[in-house]
Amino acid sequence: MAIAEEGFPPTISLEGARKQRGSLTQARIRWMILGLVIGFGLVGARLVQLGMMETDQRIEGQTRDAITATRPPILDRNGLEMAVDIRVPSLFAEPRRIIDVEEAVQKLRTVLPNLDENWLRNRLTGDKGFVWVQRELTPQIQEQVMRLGIPGIDFITESKRFYPAMNEAAHILGSTNVDNQGIAGIERHMDTESVALLQELGLARGNALTPVELAVDMRVQHVLHDQMVDAMTRYQAIAAAGVMMDVHTGEIIALASVPDFNPNEPASALVKDTFNRITAGIFEPGSTFKTITIAGALDSGAVRITDQFDARYGIRFGRYTIDDFHGKHRILSLPEVYKYSSNIGTIRVMQAMGKDNFREFLSRMKFDERVEFELPEMRVPTVPTTLSEVGAATASFGHGLSISPLHLVTAYAAFVNGGNYIAPTIYKRDMAEAEQLYERVISEETSEAIRYLMRLNALEGSGSQMNKAAQGYRAGGKTGTAEKVVDGRYSSSKVTNFFASAFPLDNPRYAIVIMVDEPKAENPQSGTTAGWNAGAITGRLVQRVAPMLGVAPDFSEILDQQIVPRGLR
Amino acid sequence: MIRTLNIFLIVASLVMLTGVYALKFSIEGTAQERNALIAKISEQEGQLSLLKADWALLTQPGHIEPIIRRHEAVIGVVPVKQEQFGSFESLPMRPAKPDYAGMDALFQAISEGIDPIDAILQLEGIE
Repeated sequence: MAIAEEGFPPTISLEGARKQRGSLTQARIRWMILGLVIGFGLVGARLVQLGMMETDQRIEGQTRDAITATRPPILDRNGLEMAVDIRVPSLFAEPRRIIDVEEAVQKLRTVLPNLDENWLRNRLTGDKGFVWVQRELTPQIQEQVMRLGIPGIDFITESKRFYPAMNEAAHILGSTNVDNQGIAGIERHMDTESVALLQELGLARGNALTPVELAVDMRVQHVLHDQMVDAMTRYQAIAAAGVMMDVHTGEIIALASVPDFNPNEPASALVKDTFNRITAGIFEPGSTFKTITIAGALDSGAVRITDQFDARYGIRFGRYTIDDFHGKHRILSLPEVYKYSSNIGTIRVMQAMGKDNFREFLSRMKFDERVEFELPEMRVPTVPTTLSEVGAATASFGHGLSISPLHLVTAYAAFVNGGNYIAPTIYKRDMAEAEQLYERVISEETSEAIRYLMRLNALEGSGSQMNKAAQGYRAGGKTGTAEKVVDGRYSSSKVTNFFASAFPLDNPRYAIVIMVDEPKAENPQSGTTAGWNAGAITGRLVQRVAPMLGVAPDFSEILDQQIVPRGLR
Repeated sequence: MIRTLNIFLIVASLVMLTGVYALKFSIEGTAQERNALIAKISEQEGQLSLLKADWALLTQPGHIEPIIRRHEAVIGVVPVKQEQFGSFESLPMRPAKPDYAGMDALFQAISEGIDPIDAILQLEGIE
């Protein structure tokens, strides 16, 4: 009306009332259409906006991913499971939805009597949306709690790590905490590598994760662990540990250290003395170190396998005289120095090489640093950076320096495999990969001489206890009885015994180091030196594992004659 | 005309309304089915994980050895000894070729009526 009045002066009225009303209706319809178009346009625009928007993950969905996050199964080299994930129910509460806290507390305690009443009451009171009550329960308990029918109490399925081998591979596997994060051993190493990232992204779900394959052979691991446990009772030792390594690829076939813990109960790992003695323990290696001294001297060319050494008298350093334990007190050939484990002879060998060359050889064998290895529990060895005359003399037979058994086994592996240092690994590694990592530390000929010496020691020397059980497997090695320092002096009653060995020595495949801490004599006829315990354990171990590893026994003497170096034939 | 159009539009909107609601409910039904299946799968995965763990436990060398030790006497097993291993090389070689002369002599003897086995059997007192 207003438009018409303003647009057209009232005095001249050209349009009839009907037409006027008609045009007014048309104008209204136009306005209406405009309104509708705008309205639908808004709705449409909103729809497009909604369609463009990224779908927001609800908080609940994200939490579920994080708590059912799985870890890849760990398999041994033959595909046997060493660690698997199982789904277990965990009990949680939503305190703001609980109507009667007192009733809930009383009812819950009928099924879970070990929960503290006050703690539970505090837990369930309040306005929180989510609290854990108890995690990782059994399906039976879940059933019973569900039957109570308490509002605001529910279960969620979580992944839990299970180690079917129990204690056997404890130090290799380590363990995980309640949030399924690795806290020790290879589990921890895996987390630093990749699993943690996957879990964070919520991708580590289901069973899609590729299994992790270790180099460990569970059969061998079982036998080794069995022998270690046996050693604890048989020799009343305070600890025993052993490691076995493939000399060509550096793969760790077995690694055990007792006392150990059950990875299914991570708290048991906190008990004193359960540390991994192979990687995280450093010890004076005793006479097993003579192999290293002799290998260094032979390789430097200063000493030949046919040389003779004067071991008639002890060597004096100021007030001290170093003498032999099994003293022959005569001129000894190099194989005799090794066979009789002569300290005097070994010092003479070291002196022929020169103490600086000797120290340089220790660095070449990587005795200054941690072994490059995946397990996080490692310790730095203590080897003096410069050696005095007397320091070099004691170091030549393994006193005054401390290395881990892993250092020792790696060195022995390098000595027998043809002279190539290969860092150990817990993961599978094939020959081609290993060969790229080889570092030559001694020559092929020196390696041959060391193999001969180790076999000789098994046939005629301190390794004969070992050889008795391992007949036919051409095993050989060196004993080491290191006296412990008690109140600042070396004690002859408390010793740490080692046996470092390899087999079959005509074509070496495995190197072993066995350690027994503070053993006692098994019976009055036997002794406490390494041959009686660490040596005997090695023998029994080789006897049982060699057939598993495809090493056939061979009694022909020709094999032992073939490894004698040319100069001695 | 307008009236027909209106009726048509009303009917059409009713049909669409029904259709949309039917679709909505069927989708809700499908979603529920899917959730039920997911829950079932996850439950079965859980059971499977327990069975796998069981299997891993039962096949552990550390689990089997004590069982063997317990029944050692009954089933008569002992750890293998080095002397029990053999190799193909230690087996005697097969003769290069059969002993033709000896076989000829044997067949001739049989055809002549002399059976060498007979003599052995008689000697042993069997027959």
